[in-house]
Amino acid sequence: MVCIRKATVDDLLAMQTCNLFCLPENYQMKYYLYHILSWPQLLYVAEDYNGKIVGYVLAKMEEETTECHGHITSLAVLRTHRKLGLATKLMTAAQHAMEQLLSYSDLAISLRPPFVLVIVKVYGAEYVSLHVRKSNRAAFNLYTETLGYKIHDVEAKYYADGEDAYDMRKQLKGRKHHHHHHHHHHHHGGGCCSAETKADEKPGSTEAKTE
Amino acid sequence: MVQLRCIRIEALREEKMTWIGLAQMRDLAGFVETRQQLLTLKPNHRMNWIGFAVAQHLNSNGSKAVDILEAYEGTLEDDYPPDNERCEHGEMLLYKISLLEECGMVERALEELRKKEPKIVDKLAYKEQEVSLLEKLGRFDEGEELYKKLLSMNPDNYRYYEGLQRCMGLYSASGQYSPDEIDRLEALYASLSKQYSRSSAVKRIPLDFLSAEKFRLAAESYIRPFLTKGVPSLFSDLSPLYDHSGKADVLEQLVLELEHSIKTTGGYTGRVDKEPPSTLMWTLFYLAQHYDRRGQYDVALRKIDEAIEHTPTVIDLYSVKSRILKHAGDPVAAAALADEARCMDLADRYVNSECVKRMLQADQVALAEKTAVLFTKDGEQHNNLHDMQCMWYELASGESYLRQGDLGRALKKFLAVEKHYADITEDQFDFHSYCLRKMTLRTYVEMLKFQDRLHSYPYFRKAAAGAINCYLKLYDSPSKSSAEEDEEMSKLPPSQKKKLRQKQRKAEARAKKEAEVKEEANATAVSRSGKRPIKPVDLDPHGEKLLQVEDPLAEATKYLKLLQKHSSDSLETHLLSFEVNMRKQKILLALQAVKHMVRLDADNPDTHRCLIKFFHKVGSMLAPVTDAEKLIWGVLEAERPTFTQLQGKSLIEANALFLEKHRDSLTHRAAVAEMISVVEPSKKKEAINLIEESSNDLVSSNGALGLPVKKWRLKDCIAVHKLLGTILDDREAALRWKVRCAEYFPFSAYFEGSCSSAVTNSSYHQMHKLHENGSPNESSLPLSSNGNIEKLEALKDLVIQ
Repeated sequence: MVCIRKATVDDLLAMQTCNLFCLPENYQMKYYLYHILSWPQLLYVAEDYNGKIVGYVLAKMEEETTECHGHITSLAVLRTHRKLGLATKLMTAAQHAMEQLLSYSDLAISLRPPFVLVIVKVYGAEYVSLHVRKSNRAAFNLYTETLGYKIHDVEAKYYADGEDAYDMRKQLKGRKHHHHHHHHHHHHGGGCCSAETKADEKPGSTEAKTE
Repeated sequence: MVQLRCIRIEALREEKMTWIGLAQMRDLAGFVETRQQLLTLKPNHRMNWIGFAVAQHLNSNGSKAVDILEAYEGTLEDDYPPDNERCEHGEMLLYKISLLEECGMVERALEELRKKEPKIVDKLAYKEQEVSLLEKLGRFDEGEELYKKLLSMNPDNYRYYEGLQRCMGLYSASGQYSPDEIDRLEALYASLSKQYSRSSAVKRIPLDFLSAEKFRLAAESYIRPFLTKGVPSLFSDLSPLYDHSGKADVLEQLVLELEHSIKTTGGYTGRVDKEPPSTLMWTLFYLAQHYDRRGQYDVALRKIDEAIEHTPTVIDLYSVKSRILKHAGDPVAAAALADEARCMDLADRYVNSECVKRMLQADQVALAEKTAVLFTKDGEQHNNLHDMQCMWYELASGESYLRQGDLGRALKKFLAVEKHYADITEDQFDFHSYCLRKMTLRTYVEMLKFQDRLHSYPYFRKAAAGAINCYLKLYDSPSKSSAEEDEEMSKLPPSQKKKLRQKQRKAEARAKKEAEVKEEANATAVSRSGKRPIKPVDLDPHGEKLLQVEDPLAEATKYLKLLQKHSSDSLETHLLSFEVNMRKQKILLALQAVKHMVRLDADNPDTHRCLIKFFHKVGSMLAPVTDAEKLIWGVLEAERPTFTQLQGKSLIEANALFLEKHRDSLTHRAAVAEMISVVEPSKKKEAINLIEESSNDLVSSNGALGLPVKKWRLKDCIAVHKLLGTILDDREAALRWKVRCAEYFPFSAYFEGSCSSAVTNSSYHQMHKLHENGSPNESSLPLSSNGNIEKLEALKDLVIQ
């Protein structure tokens, strides 16, 4: 059927085309390069049996002054390839990779000139955020019902055509100082990937992150 | 030799390092040298070690790069890295390991990987790297285990399945397996299917290697749930199977049975529960695409119309119908239908894009543009498509303009695509030092490779080919604006001439003033809002300046060189090279092009054409006089015997031989006919006869449904028609051909087939309209919301029977 795999640099042109075909929010190639060269683990594509890219997710880690969290920059699946759960699978793959990154990374590097190195302290909360059009029922349902996102805020006139956006958030699997492990059973395939993430937990690192 | 420039090292602080000179970074030796200097000066800065290593790697010195990284590691503390640098350190380790792999030190790579496992953050990358190494080392049992583990993490990655098969000795790139292997594969997927019941990959992959009855059973159990669920991409998923011999027939039978069963019993055969009504619709939907693929457009249309009648609100149905009409040769009708689909969901850009695509295919460029900008940012709407590098649109526009002979606008579009590629090439420069800091070294190296191959990507290839074709046309018939206009002018009496000139000058001045005013307005906007100015006004919106280029062939050569460098395995590249170089009188370069074509595909009709045309031209050249000419002559004498097709034969004989070899192929016969008109111009009648005597045989006696499927393709028949009308210059023959093809392709607008929209009171369209309205006396007919003009025209002369 459709293959879900990590994106490579060679996929970027096809991802851009898919984005331009499906969504009015578009980006120049440089932005795609920025994503893959910063967080290569977070970009996934859906590739059909003919080798065509029919969906993608573009994600990043957001480096703000008070916290570090994941953010979904863009997600699209061709209309012809809906009802296959591709959006869910892409999101799940990206979220899983984010969880891994959030377990270890406190550092944020600002890349704005004059290339000043900014070290940012991170506190507790690990979550992933995204924006969705208020009127986009289908996407909204996907995020809330299937993937477990909640509305965090409304950003008025977020989109270029003036439409409002819901700023949505989903808590990710807790860090080491969360003492109970919830297994997020992702909706792909039959296997449970939590067996894998369990092994990632370092036994000795349960102390909370210090300043 | 290009110099590497960088700001004086002594005065520099790492943060301020700007690698402007990295524009010339492919001066790798220089790069290595500079990075070594930096490292010597500032050995405690991590970036300098990494930078030096990367430089060595890029300079094909992978093992040295590894040494540098190991030396760097040696400078680190045991408890390195701190938590906040774990990601970067992990990436560096993975990079080092991939270097070891690249250098062939696979054992060591695996050792290193396992040793450093706790320090590698990206667990997925770790496993993928590990399994690749295990495979290389032939440790297939371990590889098998690891692939199974990877599958448990993601059973939707079919590369893992391929890897698993490889480790079990059950993978064949050609897809051919022995019966014993097939049994083993069956068993493998049966067990995987139990484990990963939710993955469709486990069920889809067997359809590739199974055949006959087993295939039929597996296919049926695969298809049924998708039809019930209503998955629009089912056909697309199965379409590769249509190239496997026999499977298309099995699928046809299978799905027709399902259709029959649902229509008669309301459910699948052998099942008690009834299917929801939508199942029938999705079955018809599948069949429509199936018959479309098999070239039976009449049946395909019948099926899709039935589906539409069943549930007229499903957009996918109209999209597929649009595609069928396009394949069948009626792009205008296809565009109209795509527009109908678009209007059913104005908030969805996908249907909008599909519609725009169809409109461009139908050469409705203005309408396409209006439709496309519905989804662009306000302001300079048209520019937005360019700013966002919307290459599919620019390419499709360019190709449409080219078809219509509007070379200026076509060139503008093709060159726009080329500019994007140039911009993307520039993009890399901002990332060189960034990546060294972020340590995403594997991806960085991947990016550099991507950049080096950038111009081999399809959009660029098509744009370059389009641009070259424009320049060729321009060369062959120079634009009206200069030559013809001057001629017309010279015929006028002097007083009129003066008036005309004054008028022209005034118009130019006005245009210039307008442009200036716009610029000023932009500038004041800047000062007022403090924001960056809007894009400068395009002074050549219709590409007129591009047409007035001094030397079109020189321009064409620029693009040709890029094609030759990056797409040298494409026949088209060399065909274009032939055309350009023949016109430039570059005999040896044209010869080279012919040689490439023979190497790639000696039996191709285009290769034959070029071969004959070349040696015909050479044969008509005057005896060499200058030294240069003598040299060329010498080379030609030496090269001619290397062409086996021409050995010991005249061109006429070679042409006849080619015909013998490919008697049954229309395209080959057409090439031969064209060459007869070149080498034996007096035998034009024979050439035309050759074409007209071609027979369009049946592909296979395929089922009882619909028109029989014949061999000839619409595209080829159109090319032959053009050949008859232009090069062979026989209007009557062209007309006869057209009438004949209208029979074969009733939906073709080009041939004015009886069912096409080009024929205004085609019986097909009458029936269709009657069908839509229900009552034959309705005078107003449904129009899509943007008042589609094409439909109106087609219905103007509608005669209700």
